[in-house]
Amino acid sequence: MKATASPAAQLGGILPGNRVLTGGHAREWASGTGAEAVLFPESAEEVVAIVGAAAETGTRLLPAGRGSWLAAGGWGREARVIVSMSRMDAVAHYEPADLTLTAGAGIGMDALADMLAPNGQWLAADGPGCDGGTLGATVSCGVSGPLAPRYGRVRDNVLGLEVVTGDGRLLRIGGRVVKNVAGFDMVRLFTGSRGSLGLITRASVRLFPLPAADVTLRFGAGNAPEAVAKARAVCAGAVQAASVEVFGGDAMAVVVRLLGGAEEVREACDRVAGSVGEAPDEVLSGAGSEALHRGRLGWEAEADARAGDSRVVARLAALPDRLGRTVECADEVAGALRGRIAADAMSGLVRVKGGCGASRVDELARCLGSARGAMEAGGGTLTLSEAPRALAARVGWTGAGGGKGGIGGRIKALFDPDSVLAAGPP
Amino acid sequence: MPRMIPSELTGRLAAICGSDGVIVDPDRLLVYESDALTAYRHRPGAVVLPRTTEELRRSVAEVARLGLPIVPRGAGTGLSGGAVPLDGAVVIGTARMNRILEIDAPNRRAVLQPGVINAELSAAAACQGLYYAPDPSSQTACTIGGNVAENSGGPHCLKYGVTSRYVTGLKVVLADGSLVELGGGAREAPGYDLVGLFVGSEGCFGIAAEIEVALLPVPEAIRTLLGIFDRIEDSGRAVSDIVSAGLLPAAMEIIDGPTIRAVEDSVFAAGYPTDAEAALVIEFDGLEAGLDEDAARASELCRRAGAREIRTAKDEDERLALWKGRKKAFGAMGRIAPDLLVQDATVPRTTLPSILRGIAEIARRYDLVVANVFHAGDGNLHPNILFDRRIREDLERVERASKEIMRLCVDAGGTITGEHGVGLDKKHHMPLIYGPAELDAMWGLRRVFDPAGVMNPGKVLPEDTDPELPGAGEGVARTGPGAAGAAPAVAGMHG
Repeated sequence: MKATASPAAQLGGILPGNRVLTGGHAREWASGTGAEAVLFPESAEEVVAIVGAAAETGTRLLPAGRGSWLAAGGWGREARVIVSMSRMDAVAHYEPADLTLTAGAGIGMDALADMLAPNGQWLAADGPGCDGGTLGATVSCGVSGPLAPRYGRVRDNVLGLEVVTGDGRLLRIGGRVVKNVAGFDMVRLFTGSRGSLGLITRASVRLFPLPAADVTLRFGAGNAPEAVAKARAVCAGAVQAASVEVFGGDAMAVVVRLLGGAEEVREACDRVAGSVGEAPDEVLSGAGSEALHRGRLGWEAEADARAGDSRVVARLAALPDRLGRTVECADEVAGALRGRIAADAMSGLVRVKGGCGASRVDELARCLGSARGAMEAGGGTLTLSEAPRALAARVGWTGAGGGKGGIGGRIKALFDPDSVLAAGPP
Repeated sequence: MPRMIPSELTGRLAAICGSDGVIVDPDRLLVYESDALTAYRHRPGAVVLPRTTEELRRSVAEVARLGLPIVPRGAGTGLSGGAVPLDGAVVIGTARMNRILEIDAPNRRAVLQPGVINAELSAAAACQGLYYAPDPSSQTACTIGGNVAENSGGPHCLKYGVTSRYVTGLKVVLADGSLVELGGGAREAPGYDLVGLFVGSEGCFGIAAEIEVALLPVPEAIRTLLGIFDRIEDSGRAVSDIVSAGLLPAAMEIIDGPTIRAVEDSVFAAGYPTDAEAALVIEFDGLEAGLDEDAARASELCRRAGAREIRTAKDEDERLALWKGRKKAFGAMGRIAPDLLVQDATVPRTTLPSILRGIAEIARRYDLVVANVFHAGDGNLHPNILFDRRIREDLERVERASKEIMRLCVDAGGTITGEHGVGLDKKHHMPLIYGPAELDAMWGLRRVFDPAGVMNPGKVLPEDTDPELPGAGEGVARTGPGAAGAAPAVAGMHG
């Protein structure tokens, strides 16, 4: 398996054979990428060695967890070797009364949740797909979900990181205490950098107590404007809901999640119904509510594109009071993609998922381009988080990045001067 | 020695900011010699006070063109010497950039100039039922721009988080006079989290000219308790027990015996029992429903941890009375000794009882009075060493005790500063927590934003760790983690 002299094989030589996948096995594990090999290091030192060898052989690397979201944002499209952290999954430090945890990047978010629950704690991260992914991937992608306004974005809850940079430096940044302003905040820089600056090998995170009560209220809506009006009414009320979402599709609904003490949540339910002006169509409590939202984490990955179509996921973001206009834009895109929308009313973000057949690339590119123009005109953005290459090439994964004076490029050059890692942001 | 600033430069600055916006008179420069950490004093070459982003941008460009050092300054309330103008630097103060540009209630956000006073933002947003959450103790004087530079905290950060959670967008002036927009408005700006990186950069990356922040709805109701303890370790254990029980108070603050006695002997007397060894202020906020239950559970946990008495505020006046001892602690310490050194280490919450014992032991060994008043819920300690700087022996003992306390906290898994920043005061302690690789990376980031090194030089990073200086790296090896580091003479004094 490692007899060939390809760069991928040379890198594989760093690890024992049972921690290297090549050929068909690699393509199967890393479907959607052009990777020739998948490596499974078990220590930061092994990662340093892999990065060093990659620099020598000019091999492009893509860090990964379990490989469940490799195509996201198109950042890893040129990677030849994937470095999966999934074997680095040990818990290094967990003291429940500190509400902090330090673990290897490869620990699964599901395993983490199972370990924390008996202590009445959780990592309040609900970005798309993060239930099936790893801690490192969640931090590396840095995509937050609807719980962010209440519990903080991913970046607000990462306390410290161990990373191997593109030039092979092992950095231990931040710490494991909840307040820390010693030096520049590199933790926030690496969080959400999607493997373009370094490979995250370990993370320390802030935890929260699991709320005593978890209730979800579902309100029906006849059309999008009605749903948006109801969702905005909940957001404007005195109750701090954990999340307020609008789901499109055959049965449009406003879904409000309330977390907190039992008495507090009972009161909040009454007040939310008062804000909407009607009783909810459905009330889910405890495990039922939790299961509903856990299920929603996989919303983007649910395979409901038509057979033969490639999946497309777009994110439309603007200020929350423009939600009506953002939903209109998203609905147009959803129509073209034959898909559906999910809106986070508190942050103003609307996601669209659907499919794209090879024959419709031109038509969809025009539709997405026009929607992006409308979003940007209102100070918003439209980005693609998943799309077939032909469509992404036409539309661009992101729009105009805004004037940052080339700072992003200089940071990329500082940590990954030889471009060993995935390409940086625009 | 104060640097002579060329008169052509001050003339050009006056043309940009108006003659009342440039200070060169030595008497008036005195105010700008230090921040609230008055042990460090250096005379600035000049002070510039722009009113607009354009004036700020052009001022920075003019000063940087001559390669002169620039020190950004808000209200000068910092406690790490971050705003001290070393080497006759030109201070660019944001005090006159004090307008709130927009309060956008439907989106719960505000856009403001950097010189807006922290408490004034909350006051302005109150009529729309909103407030700005980070609440440093100096919030009636400190500016949001300064908070951004230091990533400031405050008592209520236990539940709500520190400044960087609330800053959503920035327009910053870089050292070359360019204006760069980071984040803001649309919530999905592609690319790196440059807003997060800039917050807490202590004026070394640039100057924030416009700041967009998130606001929160004012909580509907509040419950405030005060637990009185005979042993400080018990109060520390109560804090851990409350968090372990799944409760999330908005604030948990400890005031120790020496501080209680200082407060009660002063004009700020708050009615705390003077024979107590600790008082623990606990506050819950949110919807009215359920708050009594949370407060009752916290009371019970305090009792079980050894509290001899629990007081509960019945109205706003009583609440302010319970907080008074905490809020006035620093002011009252002036009665005990003329000078105090305030530290800012953060430790894992569960180590509080042993750390507090350790600090008491160090104080005994050096025969010093150490008064603790701190954000217990976050594990953010403020041990205050009380002394008289006129007594030379005192200075040496304070310096040694201070280092030992810092080491104790770092060894317990903590860090050297939780909210005050590194500045000038703690830069020599950076090698206690970071090795050469991490410090190199920070130097590199500094040069990404400011290749010429004119923005707030001499702060945050110890010079002997600069990889671009001849012979660098040796210093890191010498003072690397585990070594004492080349700490300055006693600092951190105010009182």
